[in-house]
Amino acid sequence: MTEYVIRRLLYGLLVVFLVTVFVFLALRLIPGDVVRLQLADAPGVTEEQVDRLAAELGLNQPLFTQLGTFLADAVRGDFGQSFQDGEQVTTLIGERLPITLQLGAMAVLFGVLAGIPLGVLSAVRRNSWLDQSLRLVSVAGISIPNFWLGLLMVTYLALLFTWSPPLVYQGPTEDLSSNLVHLALPALALGTSTMASIARMLRSSLLEVLHSNFIRTVRAKGASELRVIGKHAMRNSVVPVFSILGLQVGHILGGTVILESIFGIPGMGMLIFESVQMRDYPVVLGCVVVYGAVFVLINLIVDVCYGVIDPRIRYART
Amino acid sequence: MWPNAEHEQTVPLLRVADLRVEFDTARGTVEAVNDIGFEVSAEQTVAIVGESGSGKSVTALAVLQLLDGGRIANGQIVWDGQDLSAVDKSRMRGIRGEDIAMIFQDPMTSLDPLYSIGDQIVEAIRLHRKISKTEARDRAVELLGQVGIPDARTRLRAYPHELSGGQRQRVMIAIALACAPRLLIADEPTTALDVTIEAQVLELIRDLQRQYQMALVLVTHDMGVVAEMADWVVVCYAGQVVEQGPAGKLLTDPQHPYTEALLTAIPTPETDKSQPLGAIGGAVPALHEMPPGCRFQPRCRHAWQDCTQPPPVVRLDGGRSSRCWLRAPAPTESRRAEPEQELA
Ligand SMILES: Nc1ncnc2c1ncn2[C@@H]1O[C@H](COP(=O)(O)OP(=O)(O)OP(=O)(O)O)[C@@H](O)[C@H]1O
Ligand SMILES: [Mg+2]
Repeated sequence: MTEYVIRRLLYGLLVVFLVTVFVFLALRLIPGDVVRLQLADAPGVTEEQVDRLAAELGLNQPLFTQLGTFLADAVRGDFGQSFQDGEQVTTLIGERLPITLQLGAMAVLFGVLAGIPLGVLSAVRRNSWLDQSLRLVSVAGISIPNFWLGLLMVTYLALLFTWSPPLVYQGPTEDLSSNLVHLALPALALGTSTMASIARMLRSSLLEVLHSNFIRTVRAKGASELRVIGKHAMRNSVVPVFSILGLQVGHILGGTVILESIFGIPGMGMLIFESVQMRDYPVVLGCVVVYGAVFVLINLIVDVCYGVIDPRIRYART
Repeated sequence: MWPNAEHEQTVPLLRVADLRVEFDTARGTVEAVNDIGFEVSAEQTVAIVGESGSGKSVTALAVLQLLDGGRIANGQIVWDGQDLSAVDKSRMRGIRGEDIAMIFQDPMTSLDPLYSIGDQIVEAIRLHRKISKTEARDRAVELLGQVGIPDARTRLRAYPHELSGGQRQRVMIAIALACAPRLLIADEPTTALDVTIEAQVLELIRDLQRQYQMALVLVTHDMGVVAEMADWVVVCYAGQVVEQGPAGKLLTDPQHPYTEALLTAIPTPETDKSQPLGAIGGAVPALHEMPPGCRFQPRCRHAWQDCTQPPPVVRLDGGRSSRCWLRAPAPTESRRAEPEQELA
């Protein structure tokens, strides 16, 4: 098992590395030039000034030299400084990451806590009106993009209840209730597709398991339906739900970029959104590496969980 | 209603009468069991035989109300004087495992893959007995020993995937015996196993039946097994009992052409197990295309014109009965003489 985890960790590192290189190169391909963007306001910019700034930011070096420098620094935990204000990228991320992690965790929590009961209900009450309406909700939840849901919330809440997101973000230690209220809606918007996918997946996997022979054995022992579902059927249905969750984390992380901007939450998502606009390469790169690492790590945890749930998987890994 | 002279005086443990079971399928409602009835008294072994699709498993499952999607459309299942179709769910749960236990056709998939066999045996015990986990574990070790699994205490921690098919069926038997039930229903407990293992498992079931003083309903394809184990035999065909009687008499002097055909088709060890009873020409009719009249008539060597009418259940001596026109009281000798003609 330990060996398996180490192997998976190394594999994850490789993925993060490849993502970094890819994003590094891709950023240089987007039209727009950080130097000109920064100097845009100054009247009568000379070519000399442009060259000087480029040299200052290290942008006059050949592309692969830049990449090499970046990677060498990154390995030592130095992601460089923001092009905009010279702030250390690691400091910026350190400030913003907890906010995004909280938002993401709330979204996942909502998705799981709502998705599991919905899935169980629709499996148990299969083909009832409840199941039919839950199906509708799920299909909608899976297909509606989360940013659209976020926009819808902001717009309608503003129109109907004259409510709008707080202008100033407050951390959970400053003002917990304001913080939770602020994050609740974007978390809802982010978690909806997770909820819907979990409900769908759990329903179909429960239905399959409930018809299996070993469930008949449990019933033949005289177990109650609660025990049949709660102890045996659920555990046997949960592995595909976990893999959905791993994928959904990617969705949620991606969604934070736009939703944080919509709701004015100063997390990583907003940071990356602003930095892309300013072509602030070091910040964008730093953020992407962190997003990638979080995604890889969570999927590693999900993978380890499979083994905890299923002794056959545990066995295959030793 | 099936008379059963041998046990007329005693109240049977289990009485199944006029059972009809229906399933709703995409092609409409089908009748998996049309008319099945038999009795089981204490410590008796009743064999239910018949080809694949004759409704044996459905009948067995109906007794415990474990039909997945099926419903009992008619008939009674009386356990110890109590009609099970009328009891509520919690009473039924109290009977399952405690009074009537069941082992199934496919041991490979009948155990929960995610729990150790110890957990699964302990669960079976503690569902009905208010005892501590440690006591239940000790009982589980005892049970594993009784079903012939060596090194029982360490094996408790094994998961089903670590066991062979024969061992899994032994674990299933241990689970079934957990609460010392009065009736064990074994639905083809050995079809999925090798021949050598098959003999051992049957032997085990027979020993434990004696030890636990249980009645046994043994569902099987195999007339050889019937001859060895059964007191009473119920022969099913296409959802009906076609003949039943005491094993000794039924096997030596069958009163229904189907039983006769089954007996000439007793499989030897060389017989291909995937095609049981291949010696009878033709196949069991599909549920949605049952022939009118006698259901066996299209395959029967003795079929004649009367067979297009549903045959009566004819009562014979010794509590035997046969669902066949040949046994009907009316004179039949002349008809019997030229059986094949009507069929062409
Ligand atoms: N869940 C179900 N839905 C629809 N039809 C069913 C269902 N279960 C059983 N049947 C039908 O009922 C009939 C009897 O099935 P059953 O399983 O009792 O046969 P069996 O005598 O046990 O055969 P085998 O020897 O193969 O186990 C079959 O035709 C089968 O197709
Ligand atoms: Mg069967």
